[in-house]
Parts: sequence; structure tokens; C-alpha cells
Amino acid sequence: MSNFLNLLAAGLTSGAIYGIFGACLAVWFRVCNVLNLAVGDFAMIGAIGTAVLVQSSGLPFGAAIVVDLVAVALIAWLFDRLVLHFAFDRSGGGAHGVVGVFFYTFGLSLVLEGAVRALFGTDVHGAPAIWSGPALAIAGFHVQRAGILVIALAVVSGLALWAYLRFTVSGRAASAAGESTLGSRIVGIDSALFRRRIFIMTAVLAALFGIVESPMSGFTYSSGPTISLIGVVAAGFAAFRKPGRAVAAGLAMGVAEAMLGGYVSTSYNDVLLYAILFGIIILRPEVLGLRTRPA
Amino acid sequence: MTAFALEAERVSVSYGKFLAVESADLSVAPGECVAVIGPNGHGKSSLVTALAGLVRRGGDVRVFGQTLRAGDPRAAVRAGLVLVPERRHLYPDLTTRDNIMLGSYSRTRRFRARRAWDDVAGVLDMFPELERTLGQKAGTLSGGQQQMVALARAMAAQPRILLLDEPCLGLAEAVARRVYEWLRSMAATDMTIVLVEENPASALTVAGRAVRMHNGLTDPEEAARA
Repeated sequence: MSNFLNLLAAGLTSGAIYGIFGACLAVWFRVCNVLNLAVGDFAMIGAIGTAVLVQSSGLPFGAAIVVDLVAVALIAWLFDRLVLHFAFDRSGGGAHGVVGVFFYTFGLSLVLEGAVRALFGTDVHGAPAIWSGPALAIAGFHVQRAGILVIALAVVSGLALWAYLRFTVSGRAASAAGESTLGSRIVGIDSALFRRRIFIMTAVLAALFGIVESPMSGFTYSSGPTISLIGVVAAGFAAFRKPGRAVAAGLAMGVAEAMLGGYVSTSYNDVLLYAILFGIIILRPEVLGLRTRPA
Repeated sequence: MTAFALEAERVSVSYGKFLAVESADLSVAPGECVAVIGPNGHGKSSLVTALAGLVRRGGDVRVFGQTLRAGDPRAAVRAGLVLVPERRHLYPDLTTRDNIMLGSYSRTRRFRARRAWDDVAGVLDMFPELERTLGQKAGTLSGGQQQMVALARAMAAQPRILLLDEPCLGLAEAVARRVYEWLRSMAATDMTIVLVEENPASALTVAGRAVRMHNGLTDPEEAARA
């Protein structure tokens, strides 16, 4: 029983990681119909940037988090102004196409990786723990404190995004911007503003998540694409449009993976992940711009 | 007090090197219904799209004397100029309720969608057939129902001037009759209407006069004759 509970705790922790990045991908996809492949790199910058600021600059941890998140928001804003603005707004609403924008975010991922490698090297970095101390023993199973924060952040973020999209006028307008650019502009919705706000918000959320999670796993300059990839899988379960469901799907994936590893073999973990990914690509090819949603 | 609800002078629209509207003039009095007629591809849709601020344009546009900035759809909606576009451009994965509610987006101060809906639910009096589709996704509605949603969305914006671009295109005859019936009821109020239609006979059952567009130019003779 305690083995099952420990596997469950480990699964929920890794599932929360899948879920939060799935949610970040899903909410931006909902507004722009394009996946942001750089979301994992924002998490990497969150973790490594904060670690470096604390260790090398001697900044207090709280101040380092603020400086790092502001820097991430600035990078996201600059990318929107210098790239996405021309791809979406100056091309009559998407002459660059979803494939073009998809690869622009891939390009951003490569640029961020290269910059972090040049600035901070190839070492593993981890931000200090926000909630330090030994693992907590609850009802016979053990869970790391950072793991509890990771799960809590994922659940709170997923619920907040779900409530925003479901219950607010602004959330409905953001959805409408993704459904029909012209139809949303007709009623006065500024689709570019929603695209920019949500791109920046998901970048900051990913960075915050990287800071919280990094004491457990550590980040290197090349951690981003793997994170983005598992986010794609979780978002796929949510039709790439429902962030709340992406968090739930991520948690379920994490638990399934942990149980498979615990009771069968850990060597099947990656097989499971990639089998799910291939299934999504076959069933939902619009992810790669191979088929677009009807207007 | 200006004599016109809508004044457009020397409006031009181009897409890259292609000149869709060379120079169009249009003046519509308050409460008047004017049809813009002409064959397909001669600039009618481009003209109303430009009036609604959805594409960049040259020339001047004034709504009740207020000059509209080119390419600013929010300014157009706030001034009371609301477009029902060709092919409707609804939000297919959102419900009928959300589609209509978002018509009030530019003027609502509500945070919660439910409250914003309460403010505009009255438009259903004009479209009672939509009552039972409120929770249905717009993309699953019939073409006629979708057109009614597009009209209801426009009414939720509380327009002073309605621009309708081929509102009956692709609709069954019975549905087109229903749309025209509604248009006539609107024309009988003090609503100012600009109706784009390829078929002048249909348009003039609602409009008091017609302006013809040909090769991106409005025809002054036609406007005067009508």
C-alpha cells in the first residue's frame, strides 16, 4: 500500500509538470491556434536565471525571482513585438500561417538555448528551494516539499485559467479571438492584445514553475524542448484548447507513468509518452500545421 | 447637428498592388436604408469592410459628424457603426449565448460573462427562434440560425448604423425571406442601414435608394436616380 502511495505521489508530481506546461500551451493555442515551442525554455530561464542571480550576484532569493520573472516577461514582450506582431498583425491575420509561427517559436527556443549556454555554460542549475526541509511523511508515503508546491501551483494555475476562460467576458473574448480573427475585430476585440498578454503570462507562469520545480530535478540550457514536448502531450489530451483539462490530463499521465514504472518496468515510461505523442499527431495533425481548423 | 448619419468621401481600399475600391462616396441620412449594389468583385464588400475599420483605407469617413480613424474597428463599433459580415464570421466553438454576448464587448463594463449576457438578453425578443439554441455551439447551427446569431450579435452592440454584407448569401429562400422581414422591421425604426446586395430587386424591397459600385467606383448617376 505504501509503495502504491509513494508511486502516486511521484506520479502526481511529475504529472503536475506535464499538466502546467500543457495548460500554458493550450491557453495560447486557444487564442492563436499555434503551439508555443519555447514555453519549456522560459521555464529553463526561470530556473537557471534565478539560480545564477542568487549564487553569483548575491541577490536575495525573493528579489532574484522578481528580477528573473521581469526579464522573462520582457523577452516574451520583445518576441511578440519583433516577430509575432509581423507574423499575425501585418500579414492580414496570418499570411505567415500556423506552420510559420510554429517554427518561429521553435527558433526562439533555439536562440534562448544558445544564449543561456553562452552565458551560463552547460552545468546543471537549480534555484534554492522555496519551501526547504526533508520530505514530508503523510499517511505512510513520502513527498518532497517542492513536489507539493509543484502540484499546488499546477492545480491553482489550471483552475484559474479554466475559470478565466469559462466565466469572464475577457476569457470569452480571448477564445473568440482564436475562433475568428475578423469576427472578433468586428465587435471590437483586440486579438493582438490578447495574443501578447497570454504569451507573456504563460512565459512568466512557465518561468515561475521552473523556479519552483528546479530544486528537485535541476535544469540545463537544453532542458526546454523536453518540457515543451511533454506539454504538447498533455495539451493534446485537452484538444489543445482547454488548460484546466490539460492539467488533469497531465496529472493522469504522470500517475500512469509512475504506476507503469513501479509495477512493470521504468523502461516503458518513454515508450508510453511517445506512443501518446504519435497518437496525437495522427489524430490531431493541425498541431504541426498539417491541417488547419475550419474557420 | 450633421445632416448625415454616415458620410464617406473618396474612400479607397487596396490589397497590395490590387486596387479594390478606387474612390467611393456615400452619404446616408439618419434612419435611411441605402443599398450598395453591383456585380461581385467590384468593391462593395471592400467598401463596407473599410467603413467598419477592418482594412486600411484612404479617404474620410464620418459617423454622425465624428471622423473615424482608418483601420480602427473598435472606434467604429464605439461610434455605433456595426458590420454583419459576409459569411457571418461567428465563433464556432462558442455557444449562441456567448456569440451574442460578445457583440456588447466594446461597451460592456462587466467582468462576469453571465452579467454581460443579462444586459443583452433582450435582443432575443427580435430572434425568438434562437432561444432554444442558447447553449448550443454556433458551429453546429444551421446556416439560417447562424445568420440570426450574426444579426443578434450586431444588435447586442446597440448599433446606430448597421452595415450588412450580403446577409442572404447561401441561405434557403424561406430563411432569406425571414432575414428580409427582419430588415424591413429594422428599416421601419430609426435605424440607419447600409445593405450590400448583388441583386438590386431584392435590395430595393428594403432600401429606399441604391448606390451602384462599378470597378471600385460609386456611380453618382445611379445614386441620384434612385
